[in-house]
Amino acid sequence: MLHSQGLNMAATAAGKKVFEVFVSKVPWTVATKEVKEYFRQFGQVKKCLLPFDKETGFHRGFCWIGFTTEEGLQNALQKDPHIIEGARLQVQKNRKPFSGRKSNKEAEDN
Amino acid sequence: MAALLRSARLLKCSPAVLLTLPCVSCRQYGVVPEQSGLVKDEPSVAVRSKQAQQFDWALAKLDSSVRRTGRVTKTLLLRIFHDICRTGYPSGNQALLLLRSCGSLLPEVPLAERVELSQQIWDKLQELGTTYDVSHYNALLKTYLQNEFRFSPTDFLAKMESANVQPNRVTYQRLIAAYCEVGDIEGASTILGFMKSKDLPITEAVFNSLVTGHARAGDMDSAEGILSVMKSAGIEPGPDTYLSLLNVYAEKGDIAKIKQTLETVENADILLMDRDLMQVVFSLTKASHQQHVPEIVERMRHERGYVPDAMNLCLSLITHGHEETAFSVLKSFTGLLVESQTSDSPDLGNFFLRHCANMDKPVENIVGFCKDLKDSGLHSSPLQFTLQCALEAKKTGMAVELMRSMKEEGLPLRPHYFCPLFTHYQKDKNIPGTLQALRAMQELGVASDFDTFSIYILPSFPSVDSARTSLKEAGIDVDGNILIAAELRTEASRGNLAGLFSLMSSPALPNIDLSAFRASLISGFRGIFVVLVLQKLPLCIYMTINVFIESRKCQIGSSLLFAENVAYFLYNLIDSLNETEVHSKEEQIREYFGLLKNMNISISLNIFRGIRNILESYQVPELVKSPFKTIRQYLLERALELKTQYETDMTPAAYATLINLCCRHDNAEEALKLKMELARKDSEATLDAQKYVALVRVLSKHGKLEEAIDMLKEMKEKDVQLRESTIGLLTLTMNTAAMKGDANTIRRLQETIFTLGLAKPSSNLCSPLISCYLESENYAGAFDATVEVQKQYNQMPKIHDLICGLVENGDAELLQKVMEFLSQERGEMMMLYDLYFAFLQTGRYKEARKIIETPGLRARPTRVQWFAEKCIAAQQMEPLENMVDMTVKLFECDRDDMYHYLLRLCKETNDWQKAEATWMKMQEENLAPRERTLRLLADILKNNDKEVPFEVPESLTPSMNSLFSLCSEDIDSAVELLESFYIQNTENQKSSISFVFRKVLDANNDAVLDKLSAMAERLCNHFASYRAATDLFLIYLDTGRTEEAKFLLQVPSLSNQDMHEYSVTTLLNCLDKDFSSAKALYERMQVEGVKADELTLKRLAQLYKEAGATVPFEEPPESFRFYADKLNKQRSESMEPADN
Repeated sequence: MLHSQGLNMAATAAGKKVFEVFVSKVPWTVATKEVKEYFRQFGQVKKCLLPFDKETGFHRGFCWIGFTTEEGLQNALQKDPHIIEGARLQVQKNRKPFSGRKSNKEAEDN
Repeated sequence: MAALLRSARLLKCSPAVLLTLPCVSCRQYGVVPEQSGLVKDEPSVAVRSKQAQQFDWALAKLDSSVRRTGRVTKTLLLRIFHDICRTGYPSGNQALLLLRSCGSLLPEVPLAERVELSQQIWDKLQELGTTYDVSHYNALLKTYLQNEFRFSPTDFLAKMESANVQPNRVTYQRLIAAYCEVGDIEGASTILGFMKSKDLPITEAVFNSLVTGHARAGDMDSAEGILSVMKSAGIEPGPDTYLSLLNVYAEKGDIAKIKQTLETVENADILLMDRDLMQVVFSLTKASHQQHVPEIVERMRHERGYVPDAMNLCLSLITHGHEETAFSVLKSFTGLLVESQTSDSPDLGNFFLRHCANMDKPVENIVGFCKDLKDSGLHSSPLQFTLQCALEAKKTGMAVELMRSMKEEGLPLRPHYFCPLFTHYQKDKNIPGTLQALRAMQELGVASDFDTFSIYILPSFPSVDSARTSLKEAGIDVDGNILIAAELRTEASRGNLAGLFSLMSSPALPNIDLSAFRASLISGFRGIFVVLVLQKLPLCIYMTINVFIESRKCQIGSSLLFAENVAYFLYNLIDSLNETEVHSKEEQIREYFGLLKNMNISISLNIFRGIRNILESYQVPELVKSPFKTIRQYLLERALELKTQYETDMTPAAYATLINLCCRHDNAEEALKLKMELARKDSEATLDAQKYVALVRVLSKHGKLEEAIDMLKEMKEKDVQLRESTIGLLTLTMNTAAMKGDANTIRRLQETIFTLGLAKPSSNLCSPLISCYLESENYAGAFDATVEVQKQYNQMPKIHDLICGLVENGDAELLQKVMEFLSQERGEMMMLYDLYFAFLQTGRYKEARKIIETPGLRARPTRVQWFAEKCIAAQQMEPLENMVDMTVKLFECDRDDMYHYLLRLCKETNDWQKAEATWMKMQEENLAPRERTLRLLADILKNNDKEVPFEVPESLTPSMNSLFSLCSEDIDSAVELLESFYIQNTENQKSSISFVFRKVLDANNDAVLDKLSAMAERLCNHFASYRAATDLFLIYLDTGRTEEAKFLLQVPSLSNQDMHEYSVTTLLNCLDKDFSSAKALYERMQVEGVKADELTLKRLAQLYKEAGATVPFEEPPESFRFYADKLNKQRSESMEPADN
């Protein structure tokens, strides 16, 4: 369903740019569906990667959201605070597309 | 009983009294160390060193946990326990540390479980060869008491006797406490009898136990009577005595008596801490008198550390089954928690809810707490949080119940809430569990999705077919497409190609996005790739391609093109290899790329960049050029500089020497004359800083202040840099003036120095001005000067001396002023410490105690250390001892540090009696000392030919000692120490003592240097230990002593057969870029038959190539990193002893 690695790169390879934000402090109660739904208000969401920890069955509390347009990305970045189910999300521009690559290996199936 | 007490020797609680009594002797330990004769295999030095490090690590871990939270979790304790066991030889103090943590530091663990844990640790460590001494037995006793474990004291004594361990005062005190816990006064009397026969002092602790003992025996009159017995024996009841009394009233539910006692306490000017009151709360609740709890809670002062203590009280109450009372306590301090809230949504009481979940409290109770927390706005999502806890603890029943409540509350339930449960069942392939969770899911109306199925559910079943059947039988409905898609992913992640092909060829296959299982495919094939890439590359590629051809055929991958898929797949494969794998398979990967190219599979530029990025980050040299750093080339230049300096005109130097000589002979006139002559001859001539300052000193001393100031100005003009030692000389200069009471001279010098920027204002440089007034006991003047210096230079020197003077003089008015000033400048906390130290210093201990017991005061390690060091330096035992005693309850006070200070002073004064009494105090306090503390104690005892009643951890760091010896000019013993250090420690030992060499070189001490280089040579020749020589060699190079370095290379065995690779490689590092030296080294290695390792050869080859010369040997084919890793691996393997 999702792949954590080279999200940007694969997309660029396909000739389509993805505009990513990195989201942390995602409450455990929400999953991909809820996160995606939340970010839809800022623009079309092409990707949503919320890695789960297979050892615990909980997600890791952070995710990447890929918008199809620069506008979506900017909209998301301009909004503050981001509140989902009462919890405040931290949203920032995803500066290092390859960061965290090694650390969430186990999560890639999710 | 009373008779026993009358004839027994009584001991007041003051440690000063305790320490002066001769009866606390160590005669009783005489027999103990026989045990050390039976010691099994002696652990190796390496293991010992590891133990020492590990103890510090474990201590730091446990300590930080206790400091932050006042508790230790069972998980942390067990982890440390298992880690300690794994090294094989748990040391005595590790054992003590673990045992100490098995009592009330575990509020979350039920008592019975704690007892079991301490017993388990005790037995296991004994089995592993830990030698138990009396401190361990005492620690075990303490856990028994804290865990309300009922045991037979006589059996315990018998057990100690059979282990040949003599009980001490602390042992007897705790046994008395054990008897008193069950109201057995007769038993307690028997132990008292033992103490009496051994002439051991009866301390306050014994009386406190007797209060409890009498009360538990139902005799409240006698319990209360103990206080007057104490008084008549000259022992004032302390806070702990009153606490015992309060607790027994609490057990009776006698709130009137409790209030009355609290009043008595207050009137007696005795301080009960919040923590003490919490014990009363606990006693009330346990005896079912919780209705009185609010009255006690109200009295809490909320001092520093209140919140963690109150949290622990809640946890203990929950553990003991009093969650309702715990909740009322929680509600009483939520106001304090709010302050620490930073997030927008409150989540107060998480610790409470979590512990309720862990303790399996009834769900309706928990739901009630949740509702209360939510309604009172303390927690935004208590049910969700508790559900998370239940899921983490894998409590399916509770989780489902909580979800039911959530549903009733209208909160959403989501499929992923079940994932933690499925994960749990999946681990042991628990099909009934999985089905149970699935059924609950269905019942709660939560639809399972594709992810849940493929990742968490299917892997529990042997096959997809059996899953299908089981689900059907269990009456669970699943979407067929979800099942197939999940199956596809499962097969892919298992790397089952055949299964995957057949599934994909099936006409029933729905249209599935490739991305759904691409990641699985990669992870599934990763293992295969690594194996195949080694031997069967073509096959690997064939399969790689085929999977995608298949996928294209099946029209999976609707979004991405075929070529992209291959490239992307490739990218992921490379990415999934770790650095070492890439390095070891470098050749194969290159070959693989070549093959792909031959097969006409092109990779897009972007993907190629991605792959290249990874390879670059792994520093694969074929793709990344990694230039080697020029390391020590600058050394030669420095040497040249020195030489040119020698060629210049010698006359000014001669002048300088002469001027200096005059200064040394205190001849200001002549010195000034010479200086002026020199200036006339050569206006550019400059003295060095030390000589300038010597001149300033002699001039100002002889009243030539203006001339002295001119010199300072000249220094500035000529840009003379001052070093630390020369600045010290400036302080000395001003101190001379201070002794003469010449404040004006000091002010002028200070001003000039700071205005010119010759030195930055420091406490030392500013102190002479204050000393000047203190000398003449002009305290008002000293205070004004203090204010002046603080305002001008932001320094506050000699404040301690000033306050001490005021305290001794009884000048309350000025003292008040000073305190106000301090409070304003440095804050109230610092001011209190200043006052505290002054009271200690002047022997006003009662006042000191009042200060340190100020609510909210916490330990300031640097301040405490300052005072301790001062006491040690001045050999003042009394104030130091009092400080250690008074800080027992000080928040965040490192007790081991405190006792270590005390022992250091004992060592200075060689006072073994005091040292031994200190050890007793440590046991009484239930402290697990660090190794250095035990070593110090053992040292003192050994020096006095006393038996050491515990196992002594070995010392492995002689560096400091040897440095110390060097400083005190005892060269021979220093060399001896160093030599033994190098012989004992393998080449791989990381700790280098090169700094000792450096110090010696800095000090220009040629005699010592000669001895050290002789030692290095000796170590090479006799012990094949090259580390010292290497260290010395590097220092020589670093300090520009190239000749000496070269000389060291002549040492025959330094280039001997066995010469360690480390040295050769290091030498090469130093000679980097210096081809001729490298060449010479290689040739000599050839002649002398030195076998070089591959890394060295690789490095040599590089130097040859860079110089454009032919490499005279076969260059090792792999990369640098490859050989470096290999070497490191070899080293670490040879470093690890066989016990791993």
